[in-house]
Amino acid sequence: MKKYNFIIIIGFVLMTAFVQSQITLNLALNSHPQPWLSQWANPINGQMIISYSYGVSQGDALVKLRTTLMDESGNSIGTSNPNAARIISLKLGVNLFTMADALQLQNLSLSGKVLGTLQRTGRLAAGQYQLMVEIMNVKGDIVLAHQTHPFFITSYQLPILMYPPDGAKLDAKIAQSLITFRWTGLIPNNAEPPTYRVQVFEVLQGQTPMQAFRGNRPLLDEPALHGMTQYIWHTNLSMIDTIINQKFIWTVQTLDMEGQPIPSNDMTIQGRSEPAIFTIINQNKAINKKNED
Amino acid sequence: MKHLKQIAIILVLFLAFQVNAQEAKKTFSISGSMGVTYEGYGLNSIPGPPSTPPFYNARKPWNLVRYSFNPTFMIGKWEIPMNLNFSPMLNNFTTPSGTKQSLWQFLTNPANNFGLRLKNGKTEWLLGTQNLKYSDLSTGDLGIFGYGVNLAPGKFRIKLFKGVSQSPINYEAPSLPNPAGVIGAYQRNQWMAQIGLEKEGVYFTGFNFVKSIDKRSSVIAPPLTPIDPQENMIVTFLTNTTSENGWKFNLELGQSFHTLNLNTPLSTTPVADFKPFLTAHTSTNKDNAVIAGIAKKGSDWELGTKFKYFGAGYFTAGYPFMKNDLIDYLIDTRFNIWKKKMNVVGSFGERFGNLSRTAGPDRTKQLIANVNIFTQFTDRFSLNASFNNFGYSAPDLSGYKSVSNELSLNPSYTWSNTKMSNMISATYTKSLYDETIIFVTTHNNTQTAMLLYVPTFFNKKVSPDFSVMWFKNTAPSIDLTLVTASTGMTWEVSKKFKFKSQLQYNISTMLPFTANKNLMATAGYDWKLQKKLSWQFTMTANVFHFGSEIPGNTLTPIYMGNPQYFETTMRTGLLYKF
Repeated sequence: MKKYNFIIIIGFVLMTAFVQSQITLNLALNSHPQPWLSQWANPINGQMIISYSYGVSQGDALVKLRTTLMDESGNSIGTSNPNAARIISLKLGVNLFTMADALQLQNLSLSGKVLGTLQRTGRLAAGQYQLMVEIMNVKGDIVLAHQTHPFFITSYQLPILMYPPDGAKLDAKIAQSLITFRWTGLIPNNAEPPTYRVQVFEVLQGQTPMQAFRGNRPLLDEPALHGMTQYIWHTNLSMIDTIINQKFIWTVQTLDMEGQPIPSNDMTIQGRSEPAIFTIINQNKAINKKNED
Repeated sequence: MKHLKQIAIILVLFLAFQVNAQEAKKTFSISGSMGVTYEGYGLNSIPGPPSTPPFYNARKPWNLVRYSFNPTFMIGKWEIPMNLNFSPMLNNFTTPSGTKQSLWQFLTNPANNFGLRLKNGKTEWLLGTQNLKYSDLSTGDLGIFGYGVNLAPGKFRIKLFKGVSQSPINYEAPSLPNPAGVIGAYQRNQWMAQIGLEKEGVYFTGFNFVKSIDKRSSVIAPPLTPIDPQENMIVTFLTNTTSENGWKFNLELGQSFHTLNLNTPLSTTPVADFKPFLTAHTSTNKDNAVIAGIAKKGSDWELGTKFKYFGAGYFTAGYPFMKNDLIDYLIDTRFNIWKKKMNVVGSFGERFGNLSRTAGPDRTKQLIANVNIFTQFTDRFSLNASFNNFGYSAPDLSGYKSVSNELSLNPSYTWSNTKMSNMISATYTKSLYDETIIFVTTHNNTQTAMLLYVPTFFNKKVSPDFSVMWFKNTAPSIDLTLVTASTGMTWEVSKKFKFKSQLQYNISTMLPFTANKNLMATAGYDWKLQKKLSWQFTMTANVFHFGSEIPGNTLTPIYMGNPQYFETTMRTGLLYKF
């Protein structure tokens, strides 16, 4: 009887070892990953760690992943198709994967508004979500391990340049002493106010404004006072000439605490708002011309 | 370099063709201009380096040379305008550049223009740098280096162009002597086409196609993420008409396909392929945009409205900084009343943003309203009054809101006798700018007053002007006052030589600090050396003494005195017109 008891205990220990320690899953997902789901391969978004240790059978294990994307309340908004999932061969020990592998975007079936937003923007609407990953056998009928991890999606909208508005004409007599720049704040508001750098480029003769913006060194590249959406530029530029300091293009670059451009919905990834142009008009020059006429 | 070879071949073929044309017609003429400008900049700070932190940085390159050559050749039936405007120096800021540039990088540097057009009747061949704007939703405002053709057989309009809008730049890690490194860029190739029907001045209707793709093999050391290779395809339908009785109508419908990162896996999820133009990746998205406008013009008035919708995923490589995810409308008008003595220009519009809700749960709202009224009361007295209102709100958790109201009055009075005329003009502007962040509102008020006097002597060659300005800005932690006095003079020494000068003195005080003082002097001349050759020269010196706003004891080593800087800018240019 003792012999049977011993065999049963050994069998139970082996079974426990197989079930509990053969495959473990850890979703080390950044709580604020990049809003573009296609970019989740970047290490900044985290890693999926699957540990595989000896069980009853030795050697590599073949598994599949099933991914479920859920909203804040835990309702499913998208699920991957296990039949189309890639078969993964787990090596003994620690297996590292990107979060893109965990998400399986190319195999994810979304529906309704979420699908529409993803197709149009490559992103999810701002809010809280949950990612559930299940490790399954190749047949897809047994879940070997699973984990759910919450995350927040936030996209930013860069400031809009308010003043001087695009196409504004500024009086030379005032502009050669100072020009006031204003813009709207970063949306949504960040816990740590961003740094706004005001950048002004002179449009040289024979250049288009965008050419000056892309090719010239800025005349002004200064940060606004922390948290302020206004910058008063003491220009100290002579504007008497007809070819110097007559046309400018300006923008605001929004930077985070590390001085990196705020990730926003712009294809340049520079954190620069859509630039605006202003020109300088000289009242007394116009008067002299009128008198000459 | 492949593009360069293709352009060279096309150029040689056309030059050969031109020679034949020249032989046939035996006519040749050239007109236009050429010139060179040089700008030298100097800065001397006291205390100078190694004092830290630096309290004033150089704002211009020490030396800048630019060449321009803009002739138009007429050879027989051929008209060939050229636009060569370039600098051998590298001053790129928003676009990357290495420490040295190859010939190809020099030609495709956005700071430079190397373009020419070969026109023969309604056929136009384009070579080199071109700024092509087919429409508002497609080709964009970037210079593209390449080649193409514009054809206009009958009512048909066909435009084709292929080129490069971004030079290839290798990534360089930060190191000495370049601690910033070079972020790098992929070469961006661009193709564009327009096919349509046109009756000049009456209507145009057609399609635009623009494709751009970053060439991954263009760099040996590719830039690091997040600068990933991208691909973009745009298709737009454009139509506009103008009627004889003053109606104008325009409409453009666009759809864009944009791949954020060509290194992501190929996939028809979430967006299907757009064959044969684009194969979808997981980072591909597509969206739409609409622009429409209608206006009616009368003899003394004009009224119009514009509508715009840019989806959150509408991208065009031609307008890389274009803001999307918005819908807006604008109504503008212009009319004369009171026997044409009063001219009114006004506009009103609203813009809603964050339609996709990807930047928060609610839409943002922007309001723009402005009106400008100019009244010529008498021959001597006129008044310009303008009112601008800008409002912006993001009614989400951040509760961001900003409202700006600005009123400006500008009366002018002129009087004259047999010897001189006088003009006195005043400007007063009051701006109220309220900003609410997390339900805390700050008031930011600005006032500007300026008085300008310009006497003009009929029998003298000197034209002076005098002005004073007062500026006041108050906001939390800001109490800034600035007073400026300035005088200028233009002296026509002879018909060939005109001398210009200006002196400006500024006192700006940011309480509780003591005042900053600044003197700026400018002198220069325009000299017609010959009938076709002129020389322009301007020299500006700027002395700035800081008050206690930058106290010397915040610098290392401690400076006993007020920091100051002396800045000079010299710009000179030779221009030859032919």
